[in-house]
Amino acid sequence: MRRRQASCIVTFHTTADAMETERVCRAAGLAGRLIPAPRDLTADCGIAWCGPAETRPALEAALRAAGVEAAGLREQLY
Amino acid sequence: MAKKTKQTPEKTSWLGQNWLLLLTGFLVGAAAIVLNLLGNPGNMGFCIACFERDIAGALGLHSAAPVQYFRPEIVGIVLGSLLMALARKEFRGKGGSAPALRFGLGALVMIGALVFLGCPLRMVIRIGGGDLNAVVGLLGFIAGILMGLVFLKKGFNLGRAYKQSPLEGLAFPGALLLAFLLCVTGLCGLFRSSAAGPGSLRAPWYAAILAGLLVGALAQRSRFCMVGGVRDAVMFREFGLISAFGMVILTVLLGNVILKKFTGFSFAGQPVAHSDGLWNFLGMSVVGWGSVLLGGCPLRQLVLAGEGNSDSAVTVLGMIFGAALSHNFKLASSGDGSTPNGHIAVIGALAILLLVSLVLSFAKGKEGKK
Repeated sequence: MRRRQASCIVTFHTTADAMETERVCRAAGLAGRLIPAPRDLTADCGIAWCGPAETRPALEAALRAAGVEAAGLREQLY
Repeated sequence: MAKKTKQTPEKTSWLGQNWLLLLTGFLVGAAAIVLNLLGNPGNMGFCIACFERDIAGALGLHSAAPVQYFRPEIVGIVLGSLLMALARKEFRGKGGSAPALRFGLGALVMIGALVFLGCPLRMVIRIGGGDLNAVVGLLGFIAGILMGLVFLKKGFNLGRAYKQSPLEGLAFPGALLLAFLLCVTGLCGLFRSSAAGPGSLRAPWYAAILAGLLVGALAQRSRFCMVGGVRDAVMFREFGLISAFGMVILTVLLGNVILKKFTGFSFAGQPVAHSDGLWNFLGMSVVGWGSVLLGGCPLRQLVLAGEGNSDSAVTVLGMIFGAALSHNFKLASSGDGSTPNGHIAVIGALAILLLVSLVLSFAKGKEGKK
């Protein structure tokens, strides 16, 4: 039984964007990890970034600064 | 792009998360057993590579008489995915992500699959049927996926897909449906059809299309994908997808035992298979590596094509082209073993995969990040 937590989940147009996001977040000290994109978020079988919900503003700023375009961004329990 | 928060239970069990995948695995295995009973070749209730190879033959793209038949299962999978995507409002016309490269990679994947004699789905069906050659293929498949993942982590990128018109997304499923209707209504006598060999072994068309529809719809809903299963297990320690393939093996194994068709695990004497271990391994390495770069196994490409992804439709066309190359130039194996031309083609395919992986991982320009 896994306990779900309020998370900010970002999906991408390409796997390379997901990898770049991991690099950017690590460099910025943002908590989170790559996960398989949740099925309820997308029919695509890509990779998503999942971080604590409270990191959302910093995460959005980091992605903007790095020029990474998110396909979708949602807060949900994960 | 932000969406409203969706409320879900705070706790979730593994089974609660993955029941649909397990159900899909069970029904895919059951469909393979039933189609085999109704006439499909041994351990080939479902095989995306073999069926696309048969379609290539039916269209006259190769002249190998034993493997020509317009397989309704392929049409069913694409249409099942399309119907499920439409029902769930997930149909999207999109494309434009390196179509020429995808066509070529699709051809390479097919060449590797026909050296092994099966796609990843048939590989697990063969394991369930007691074919140990498929276990060798599985090891090669995993090795190929691991190679591909190395480059994915280095930033391998075929480029993003863009929104297209719904008509673009419907073109491939529509063409398949039209060809299928021409076949079953007898209006088209142009398609070739095997009188002997694997292409002549077939379930009735209505059973085949129904099984395809079921598998396509479930695979769309669950995102059933062998490559994704290994990727998730290796990268994220998530085992839901790969468990679905364990369920296929278990279902096929139990089905064969119940029907008294299971004669134990062995390398020799397996239907539509050979025992050249090295080439089984390397052939499936090509399939695994190429499929990772393409973002999904051959079954997944059909499902994505049904969802409106024209890049996947191009990939499927590349696979059909690869099947034609395989039989026209004697690259494909047979029950007697692999061929010298097949060996050269597999080595060449691995070299091309390495080149493409290196170029698109390390030589990216300013557009590389997009």
